[in-house]
Amino acid sequence: MPTKRILCKYFKNGACFKGDACEFSHNWSDPESNVCMYYQSGNCAYGRFCRYEHVKLNRQEGISVGKALPVQTHINLVNREVASSSATPRQGACDVEASQDSRSYAAANIAWKEPSMFSLNAADEQENFPYLPADVGCSVDSASSSATNGAGAVMKYNDPSEEPICALAAAGRCTRGETCPYLHGDVCTMCGKECLHPHRPEEREEHKNQCERNQKRLEALRFSQDIECSICLDKVLSKPTNAERKFGLLSGCDHPFCVSCIRDWRRTSQPQGSGADTVVRCCPVCRVLSYYVVPSVIWYSTPEEKQEIIDGYKARVRDIDCKHFDFGNGKCQFGSSCFYKHAYRDGTTEEIRLRHLGAADGNTVIAKDVRLSDFLGRLHLRR
Amino acid sequence: MLDVSRVQKELVEVAGDKVSGVSIQLLGNSLSHLQGTIDGPSGTPYEGGVFTIDIQLPSSYPFEPPKMRFITKVWHPNISSQNGAICLDILKDQWSPALTLKTALLSLQALLSTPEPKDPQDAVVAEQYLKHNNTFIATARYWTEAFAKRSSIGLHEKIQKIVEMGFSEEAARAALQSSGGDENAALEKLCVG
Repeated sequence: MPTKRILCKYFKNGACFKGDACEFSHNWSDPESNVCMYYQSGNCAYGRFCRYEHVKLNRQEGISVGKALPVQTHINLVNREVASSSATPRQGACDVEASQDSRSYAAANIAWKEPSMFSLNAADEQENFPYLPADVGCSVDSASSSATNGAGAVMKYNDPSEEPICALAAAGRCTRGETCPYLHGDVCTMCGKECLHPHRPEEREEHKNQCERNQKRLEALRFSQDIECSICLDKVLSKPTNAERKFGLLSGCDHPFCVSCIRDWRRTSQPQGSGADTVVRCCPVCRVLSYYVVPSVIWYSTPEEKQEIIDGYKARVRDIDCKHFDFGNGKCQFGSSCFYKHAYRDGTTEEIRLRHLGAADGNTVIAKDVRLSDFLGRLHLRR
Repeated sequence: MLDVSRVQKELVEVAGDKVSGVSIQLLGNSLSHLQGTIDGPSGTPYEGGVFTIDIQLPSSYPFEPPKMRFITKVWHPNISSQNGAICLDILKDQWSPALTLKTALLSLQALLSTPEPKDPQDAVVAEQYLKHNNTFIATARYWTEAFAKRSSIGLHEKIQKIVEMGFSEEAARAALQSSGGDENAALEKLCVG
């Protein structure tokens, strides 16, 4: 859903095959995402030379862009590979950046094993992509040697933090081990990969934080596996379909249910006149009133975690237009308490003005919608 | 559609529990019609009785309460002496899907020990409970003896039979009592021991 708001890179170049099925937006007004995914996990091998932006996403956006980026990085790789290898034989100007690119991508190339796509034959590339700019700065000796055998000259860097680390080792497995000409990062104690750059402290910190978060989430997921729904008596995360494997968190108490079970129960209509309208809105176990149910794939163990899940959910749905409000055409019974977006077609949000009525006893009450049934109900009581 | 897997789980749970004095039996192949039994709580006129309850599960169970009715005749202000209908809030508007057949049967057991005469199902019984409590207790005990005691049916004849086989009357009575009134089981016990 959120990637639909990011402009498709293929579409932008007039080459998206997916058409309406594309998970990215085909609407020119949507912004492009230019955020480096590797930076998010703290191990971008390009450092400050990366063509993508090294900015930190907050967790919310991180989810949406995380999906989007593999595709974009893919383009990134192809383009760069082609640019550097095709430009190599003709240019003499030396530039560390380009050679660095080609070296690392040669390494990436080995991992992917797609020779047809990543042919290192410079002549072929030149024929296939004659429109590529030929003025990419690159030295003949360093870049061509590195591009052809992937293990060329050792570059000298003024600043050790500029030196990229071996992408294969950072991904978990470098077959060359000791003989690898590239810098191997330090081993992260949590994920066990050689992905900590020895000279980039902020990236190390970033990666460690990311690993810690992943670890926590994994732990929470493991803990959630054994939790049973009190309605269907099944383990929530062992339900047959993916859609059912979600907890429904009640705002008022801490009893676990499947989101489908608790929603089914809250939808059940109770016999009239029993005052049972509130019964279905109470927790089936402890009968504490809850005003809303929040879906979540993991169960929480502390109140802070619960609050985090609830806040995350609210923030997610706040961007989604309320179907009951329907851009001002409909009426949403939740009014200002609705979690969804109440905006008109022109983008302005709904303003709620409460009407205050002064009662005879001096108190002020908030005027609500007047319904005929209210009066009839009272009439019935009086009789 | 009845949630079959939940009902099966509940049946397994009840079958595994021997101490709480409730049990559920299947009637035929359908899971929607069951029969439960509860032991009369001790310290009440219903002590020693075994009460059978007819259970019908609606298709929307557990989102709707099970329909329960006493098959065994019982003298109680909240249970109809005519048709066994039960007046209990959790079987009506206070039902919750977190309740199970076992908890419902346990609630019935609790209802037997604490009658609610202010909210009666059987007005005659409730009136007797409030005005002539001693008569009520006597009647309830008599109904339990007469309708709810399996072992009491033909106890005298069984003892007589065993005595004819050459055992003493006391031993026969004790053996019958420990085997729950089953004549064959009592005989076996006497032969072995």
